Amino acid sequence: MVFHVERHGAAVVIHLDDPWVNQALKLALLLLVAAPLTVLFPFTRRIKLIFWVVVAASGLALAASISIVISGDLIEFRLWSPSPYAELLVSLDATGAFFAAIVAGVSIAAAVFGSSYAHHSALDDAVLPLFVLSMLLVVAAGNIFAFLFAWEAMALTSFVLVIGDGTPRPRRQAAIIYLVMTHVSSVFVVAAFFVLANAAGSTSFVDMAASPLEGQTGSIAFLCALLGFGTKAGLMPLHIWLPRAHPVAPSHVSALMSAAMVKVGLYGLIRVSFSMLAPGEVWWALLLIGVGSVSAVMGVLYALMEHEVKRILAFSTVENVGIIAIALGTSLTFRAQAAPSLAAAALVAGLVHAANHAWFKTLLFLAAGSVQNATHTLSLDKLGGLAKQMPVTGAAVLVGSLAIAALPPFNGFVGEWMLMRSLIDLVANEGSTSGLAGVAALAALALTGGLAAACFVRFFGIAFLGLPRSEAASHAVESAAPMYGTLALLALGCVVTGVGGPWLARGLGAISAELTGASGLTGQGDEVLVLSSGASVSPLIIAGVLLLLAPMPWLLARIFWGANHRDRGAIWTTGVVHRPTMQYSAASFAKPIRLFFGRLLLPERKIEVHYHGASPLPRLVSYTGRVPALFEERLFEPARVAAIWMASRVRLLQAGSVQFYLLYMMAALLVLVLGVAR
Amino acid sequence: MSAIVLGAGHLIAVVAIAPLLNGVIRSVKARFQQRKGPPLLQNYFDLAKWLGRREQLAQSTSYVHVLAPFGVLAASLAASLFVPMFGDNTPLTSSGDLLVLLGLFALARALLAMGGMDSGGAFGQMGSSREMAVSSLVEPVLLISLVTLAVVPGTTRLGEIVAFGDSDPAKFLSVGWALAAAAFAVVLVAETGRIPVDNPDTHLELTMIHEGMLIEYSGRSLAMMHLAHMVKQVLLIVLFANVFLPFGLTGDHTVANYALIVPLIAAKVVMVAVGLAVAESSFAKMRLFQLPDLLGAAAFVAMLGAAVTVLYR
Repeated sequence: MVFHVERHGAAVVIHLDDPWVNQALKLALLLLVAAPLTVLFPFTRRIKLIFWVVVAASGLALAASISIVISGDLIEFRLWSPSPYAELLVSLDATGAFFAAIVAGVSIAAAVFGSSYAHHSALDDAVLPLFVLSMLLVVAAGNIFAFLFAWEAMALTSFVLVIGDGTPRPRRQAAIIYLVMTHVSSVFVVAAFFVLANAAGSTSFVDMAASPLEGQTGSIAFLCALLGFGTKAGLMPLHIWLPRAHPVAPSHVSALMSAAMVKVGLYGLIRVSFSMLAPGEVWWALLLIGVGSVSAVMGVLYALMEHEVKRILAFSTVENVGIIAIALGTSLTFRAQAAPSLAAAALVAGLVHAANHAWFKTLLFLAAGSVQNATHTLSLDKLGGLAKQMPVTGAAVLVGSLAIAALPPFNGFVGEWMLMRSLIDLVANEGSTSGLAGVAALAALALTGGLAAACFVRFFGIAFLGLPRSEAASHAVESAAPMYGTLALLALGCVVTGVGGPWLARGLGAISAELTGASGLTGQGDEVLVLSSGASVSPLIIAGVLLLLAPMPWLLARIFWGANHRDRGAIWTTGVVHRPTMQYSAASFAKPIRLFFGRLLLPERKIEVHYHGASPLPRLVSYTGRVPALFEERLFEPARVAAIWMASRVRLLQAGSVQFYLLYMMAALLVLVLGVAR
Repeated sequence: MSAIVLGAGHLIAVVAIAPLLNGVIRSVKARFQQRKGPPLLQNYFDLAKWLGRREQLAQSTSYVHVLAPFGVLAASLAASLFVPMFGDNTPLTSSGDLLVLLGLFALARALLAMGGMDSGGAFGQMGSSREMAVSSLVEPVLLISLVTLAVVPGTTRLGEIVAFGDSDPAKFLSVGWALAAAAFAVVLVAETGRIPVDNPDTHLELTMIHEGMLIEYSGRSLAMMHLAHMVKQVLLIVLFANVFLPFGLTGDHTVANYALIVPLIAAKVVMVAVGLAVAESSFAKMRLFQLPDLLGAAAFVAMLGAAVTVLYR
């Protein structure tokens, strides 16, 4: 079913006889455009109206998107058209709608949380709806102009949110690095679309999908798309902006960037590689699997080395984007091998993981905000024991940690199960190269899983268990109701989408049909998820068994041994008084892993012993350790130096005298004339 | 209905046998050390004793410490429903496979480590830190060695892998199988917390991993944690005995057939357990930071096994 609405006319008009989906979507977009006006009035500012407008708009967009994902319809209307060549065409199909649903869902949680979180300026508040709007427009774009317009708007609005008022200095620096990286991304995105549009002879996505590109130009387009969208998505080694931009932005903005915006980058990659490129070379897919594996393993390793809550979460996003990239690569491999139903299963694995990542990463970033509000710090080494002082935040983070570590029956597990199963199919399928790649990716994924569990046991254990490591942490109190309420609902969502994974995966049938022409699932509408390869899993039954077994020991012990008696006593610490500083720190917890993976991480440490005069006893022993950011130091720093060197050479041309400039113009003219004449 | 009976059978068997099997390993080790060792049934006495004791909680602990044992034990027991214990079928065939099994082990481990960190004592946190670090290396080896067996039959359900191996040993016993079995044997030692990776007999020493996490546990919680660990141990041993050596396991689900199969399985399981004890007695404890050499070698062997299977199928 295709709805064509408003192909002509200058602006968006809501017709009463439109289908409700169109109306909801248009209304959502209009609300988001109008929302910034509410910060102009003191009263609406005081009641934080803008956040509730964002919630309402996102709710409408969410309902419309879910409806499109399920029905597989296409919604198309022209938003604005200043000239015949610049047409803001909105065209939302199931694939786009899935990512629109992620964006809208995350922004509901972020806006509710943001309404009572910290103090931000009117500018910050006003830009938030525009940021959400631009993300929705990217995934709803129907042609290159609309896409790039929204893409750039997304880059700029998020930059404004990251930089805030530009103080302190590290925030400004982080924002500028983000701005540079986001434009590096834009350059490659533009290049990719240039190649694709040139070959298709049209800038409309529908036309470009009708004549998918292949061969060498296809490879160029794929590489440009991988670099461009990979930067936005945070694939290694293009991830350097994430761990800088996330910590400085307010938590609800970090959640939006990490859980939603990064997915918009992945959406671009999916759109180009699945619908605009023909099922071409296997090496594209294997490259994506390789990049994804590196991102996953190195992302989680760096997360383990970090001491700051939001930097940990940022690197964990790199890891999860890597996992999704492995899924997309696996799907593309099957597509190149003409195995559509296996391709569909792997694609759905990636999409399911993308949706689930949005749940738990939003939860964890917002929880970081809750912790920051309560303790004014995000350093793990100043936290501790928060599970008792902030019970809801603590329980929510516990659920989020188990979910992000892909443990059954929480939601991170379903996607990873599907992905691992797809990789096993890749290993069992024909093709030695792809089989070996599958083995390597499986090993990387298992390693990532183990390390992610370590990472989030550390995260939860250091921040929420044990004794408070600072005065501020010992006086922490639970956050305000809108904040902990959001966290509780998100945690519930992690459980519900975990056991409801089969329904979620089956609900994406329209997308897999759209992109791979097949369905990867064969099950009935029940609690068992059945892949087309015959493998099946049922998170609901696993959860049921766990719930049934958990109280058994309590029950049996009560029947046979009577009631349990618990006494509170001192902890056993070899007889000395227990102090918080005696606990493991964030660094000591990660030490075994730092040593095990020393050859990948290349940690540095320096121990200096200072003596006082001739005394043999040391006066001061100082220890400094760090894990260098290898990609930044070995890749980006030389690139930066080279860029500045080149810029300084080019500056020689700009001598400042008119004669020289006239000479250049003359030379340019000559070259052109000679070139054309020849 | 039969699934429920079989499931109950798995749960009861695993709870009943786990302490005994641990006792067997202890006795064999004691013989190697020229000791008589505790009685074979000592673990049952210990569990009964802990279940009747009052529980002592550190002041600093939260609900995580109290609830963790329930989660750890439930996850370990749930894992038993995905291991083919009596022949080639599992109670929850369509609900999970080897990936779910590893997932449940990982869930138990994460909860165990969180429980160990809760008291705020350095011993528990040290144990948690080491457990998570070691397991991150063990997990890929476990997965790859099991996947190697799954490639040829094209299924990840352990029961179906057993059925395939029993019906077509010529295809099953390949070079890939041998390498996978070798790698699995190494991580069996690590996952059951034995020398050279961990030492189950030490208490309050800086070498410990698993015991460290349990240091603040007492009474019923301690009993549950210990039982969970013994259950996991028996499951891994059964996994090795049944999935890597799946011979003589298939047949009708009749009482007469089970009377033939179960003693065979018991014999294999005891053999693997004795082998574990022998291996443990023949090595010295490794330094923690040398473990990557051992586990890395196991990972390499496992990857090689999978690669060989892919290249020469």
